[in-house]
Amino acid sequence: MNERPLDVLIVEDEVLLATELEYLVEEVGCHPVGLAMSSDEAVALACELRPDLALVDVHLRDGPTGVEVVRKIHDDCGGVALFMTANVKRLPEDFAGACGVIGKPYSEHGVRTALEYLTICLNEDRAPGPPPIGLELSPAYAARWGLNDLPQALEA
Amino acid sequence: MADISRSERAAEELAAGHGIGDPFAAAIRATRMAMIVTDASQADNPIIFANNAFLALTGYQRDEVIGRNCRFLQGPDTDPAAVEVLRQAIANGQDVAVDILNYRKDGTTFWNALYLSPVRGESGEIVYFFGSQLNVSDKKRVEFELGDTRDRLEAAVAARTADLTHALQQKTALLHEVDHRVKNNLQLISSLLLLQNRRVTDPGVKNSLRGMLERVSAIATVHRRLFQSDDVERFDVSAFVRDLVSDMMGAARRDDIKVNLDLERIDIAASKAAPLALVISELFSNALRHAFPPEGMQGRPGEILVRITRQDADFRIEIADNGVGVENSASSGGFGLTIVQLLCQQLKARSETTPADPGTRVVVHLPVNGVHH
Repeated sequence: MNERPLDVLIVEDEVLLATELEYLVEEVGCHPVGLAMSSDEAVALACELRPDLALVDVHLRDGPTGVEVVRKIHDDCGGVALFMTANVKRLPEDFAGACGVIGKPYSEHGVRTALEYLTICLNEDRAPGPPPIGLELSPAYAARWGLNDLPQALEA
Repeated sequence: MADISRSERAAEELAAGHGIGDPFAAAIRATRMAMIVTDASQADNPIIFANNAFLALTGYQRDEVIGRNCRFLQGPDTDPAAVEVLRQAIANGQDVAVDILNYRKDGTTFWNALYLSPVRGESGEIVYFFGSQLNVSDKKRVEFELGDTRDRLEAAVAARTADLTHALQQKTALLHEVDHRVKNNLQLISSLLLLQNRRVTDPGVKNSLRGMLERVSAIATVHRRLFQSDDVERFDVSAFVRDLVSDMMGAARRDDIKVNLDLERIDIAASKAAPLALVISELFSNALRHAFPPEGMQGRPGEILVRITRQDADFRIEIADNGVGVENSASSGGFGLTIVQLLCQQLKARSETTPADPGTRVVVHLPVNGVHH
């Protein structure tokens, strides 16, 4: 990738998922900067490391606290978060400030294309086109990255 | 009391005009409908005439009612609102019909369908009020009983609805919980296979792991799709194929192969989703991995067609490639093809493999209603 690689924080309490995700993040050319398994760890690391993107599961070691983690990363650390959850339907309407969601179970290819796509979006503050299959953007970020201006034909 | 003697006089005056031979007066005296006449010209509108039916209904003697205002019929449970309606009508000189709870002399109650109307003199002034009373206690009791029954039914329905709503909430929560666990476990299985695939170097083992990963991914895609739709009982095969193909093509990194999708929307029972998904995944993977060895294509662009249509009582799923053909491919797909055969048996589906010249065409016929005719 020609784009500046993203610093990525992984917030996930399943250690095998987290480990594999770390490999994947690295393969795409991003920098995995840390791994958090609970909400406290996640917020502390996000505010300390200032990653470009935090990948956040909803269910963490201390319960379904991922939504609050995302809200704090957004409100207190000024960071961008992306949900990775099996419960896409249960997310709040405003995505708690997250830029979007990847539904579990995700595929290796799905995460790869999503990270490549978000690298461009975050670097240029504009989307290169509609999001790839498997990635759903929040309404706020879809608008911010100019997706609402795209002709409908492109999204079909 | 002066009032009583005046009322008696008024009663005499009234009677004087309607002697023995007056058929109207006789009718009013004899009717079974309770009736009274009050003197509007006197203060407090006292009764100056009451027929026998009225005395029978209320239990009073005639001398106990003449000269008194009718309100002696009211009691503690009489509705003040009904009394107010009466008062207003009298004050405005209008006739009025109202159901009011009245008391007999012995203290027992009855529902009185009271009709009261003013009687005007020649110059239009109100001279008398005429009142008729009908005992409607039976009708009222039925009304009250109906009301009670309705209230009880409504309460029972509300309680039952609350129970069912609660049960539904619990069931929905449980479904979400199970769905969540299934998805997370599939993700865990994928991660395990991916992690091991990173460790091993033997190409044969890597190949096997990749095959298993594809199968797990196909099932994972089914589960992601299943709970996305509003109807958890039905599975949209074409939407699944779009996801699957996007994933497999993305992972294969074969820009020299083009995929054509011709997908009619078909829905199958959710219970058949995973086996059918595995069949499609095997066949597509087979084409992708074995039909186009770079040395066999001699620069010819590869193409895979996936076509889903409904044909009479069958869903027809066609996967065709323009590759090197089964006999020329280095297909190691023994296991993959076994899976396809076994799952077709399970699905009561038929699969046919024919040369496509060039390439291979596999068609799966899946009976719409579960059986072939």
